[in-house]
Amino acid sequence: MKSLYIFIIFLIVAAAQLFVPAQMILNREDVLKTGMVFKFKTRPIDPEDPFRGKYISLGFEATSYNTMDSIWERNQKVYAYLDIDSLGFAKIDKVSRELLIDDDKDFLEVKVDRYDNYSNKLNIEYPFNRYYMEETKAYDAEVAVRENLRDSVLTNVYALVHIKNGVSVLKDVIINDMSIKDYVKRELESN
Amino acid sequence: MNSKIQSEIKELVEQQVISEGIASKIEAYYQSKKDNAPNRLFTVFGVLGALLVGLGIILILAHNWDDFSRSMKTFFAFFPLVIGHGFVGFSILKNKTKVWKEASGTFLFFAVGSSMSLISQIYNIPGSVSSFLLTWILLCAPLIYLLKSHMLAILHILFMTYYATDYGYSFLSSSNTPWFYILLLALAVPYCLQLLKNNIDANITSIFNWLLPLSLIIVLGTFIVKIGEFGVLMYVCLFGLFYNIGKMPLFDNRKLRRNGYLILGSLGTIYMLIITSFDWLWKDRIKNTLDINSQEFYVSLVLFLMAFGVLVYSYSKSWIKRYNLSHYIFVIFSVIFFIGFGNKFIPLTIINLLILIIALITIKIGADKFHFGILNYGLLIIAILIVCRFFDTDMSFVLRGLLFVGFGLGFFLANYLMLKKQKERKLNVKN
Repeated sequence: MKSLYIFIIFLIVAAAQLFVPAQMILNREDVLKTGMVFKFKTRPIDPEDPFRGKYISLGFEATSYNTMDSIWERNQKVYAYLDIDSLGFAKIDKVSRELLIDDDKDFLEVKVDRYDNYSNKLNIEYPFNRYYMEETKAYDAEVAVRENLRDSVLTNVYALVHIKNGVSVLKDVIINDMSIKDYVKRELESN
Repeated sequence: MNSKIQSEIKELVEQQVISEGIASKIEAYYQSKKDNAPNRLFTVFGVLGALLVGLGIILILAHNWDDFSRSMKTFFAFFPLVIGHGFVGFSILKNKTKVWKEASGTFLFFAVGSSMSLISQIYNIPGSVSSFLLTWILLCAPLIYLLKSHMLAILHILFMTYYATDYGYSFLSSSNTPWFYILLLALAVPYCLQLLKNNIDANITSIFNWLLPLSLIIVLGTFIVKIGEFGVLMYVCLFGLFYNIGKMPLFDNRKLRRNGYLILGSLGTIYMLIITSFDWLWKDRIKNTLDINSQEFYVSLVLFLMAFGVLVYSYSKSWIKRYNLSHYIFVIFSVIFFIGFGNKFIPLTIINLLILIIALITIKIGADKFHFGILNYGLLIIAILIVCRFFDTDMSFVLRGLLFVGFGLGFFLANYLMLKKQKERKLNVKN
């Protein structure tokens, strides 16, 4: 009888253990299906995570916002409202401490990096700074981007991000209109 | 049965110390004890196997297989998890042996981690290692109690320490305080208490007696945000707490190597006293006014009250030998710390005296108990004190040299005298 009770509690624990990853999937699938797509100009580098393996870390171009308001704390959670520039890339329209109800632009929950008192610029950190790659490819991806940057401009490397209600999912990183995974594969094969 | 015991029994019978009847009774007792004990080696290998397989799965998945589709990766994220659930469910429902429970629980622990990490990869979920670890540990914490698994409890303590250090110690950004560590600790403590209550002499209990205080020592530093001086007080109180816990008869009456609280508490206290016997702390202490309304103060206060609680309880049970100053070091230190004295000399003198007195008491305890380890520990404390004072005292080299020679002779003499005494005592016992 006692083991039956324990088994029932175990079923609840097991359900929670299944629910957490399932919830992670469902939330992201919803954003991928119904979220707005933005392109963020980026520059990848290659670190790694002990459990989740190799990823390329993404640094973005559109991370600063001009404001005279100088009272920001590091790592403070704020909302970045996004717009699209003339070339079709994402840019920050405004940064706010609270949700703006009457603003219909897509927004993201981001972190304050720092405020520069000289240039009056607020720098933010996007929540999608990791792109996981097969371990053999992550370093090559970084090299590919570096070499690509040498002979052309940054416009052809960007992150494809789906955004809905403040939640974002990084879908792909694109180099020369090609997924970085395919790009690296092609580069490896051609060498 | 242990062959050593068998030969001892044989010898005792031959020497007519015990009768044949008693000998067979003793043998029967050890035999029955052996039959009841589960196969320890099998448990160890079972757990080790599950541990390696689980870690292996995480590493294989960390390769990030680009060629698999998203649905295929999702399947692989859940596959080990469901298998783990199957094994654990089976071992609970059928009330299988300890080996089953330990091994399946360990496997499930890593399956949960691998599942979450694979989904992070599929959807490029950023999140720091610490937030990932926290979810992982919390999801697996109930399994410790459901399976009564030692290995899961050990993994829980190891991973919560990893979580707190990753979250709290950082070189670049401003430091964070891992408050969730306290919750994770609270989840682990009842298990350790249960072990102390039911299985005090088991080897596994002594592993916990070391792991838990070590984890606390490693993590406590993350609770210091701004005021470093309070960090010193926090650690003195923590080591005071460990020392007083370690001196409770529950721990003190057992082998010293099983008593992590006492050893860490004593070593830690001496270490803190030695480093505060230099003048940097007291210089800062005079320069800066302490902000009482700070996180560091409250953490120190909680630790102080806990240590003081244990001290009062031990005193009320008359467990404390009055002359042993080590019990009260954290109280004396706290008083000196707060009074500050306006100059550095008074606190420095008191700290140096405290170290000296502790060393002398330790030597006395070592001599009384005929314990060479404790005796030499006391001598070592004095030696370290002298070496440290060389750094900030103007003394001629001749005098320093003489002091060292004198002290070296002291070491030799103390050990020699005790050895002689011990031999005499053995002779007296024989006669």
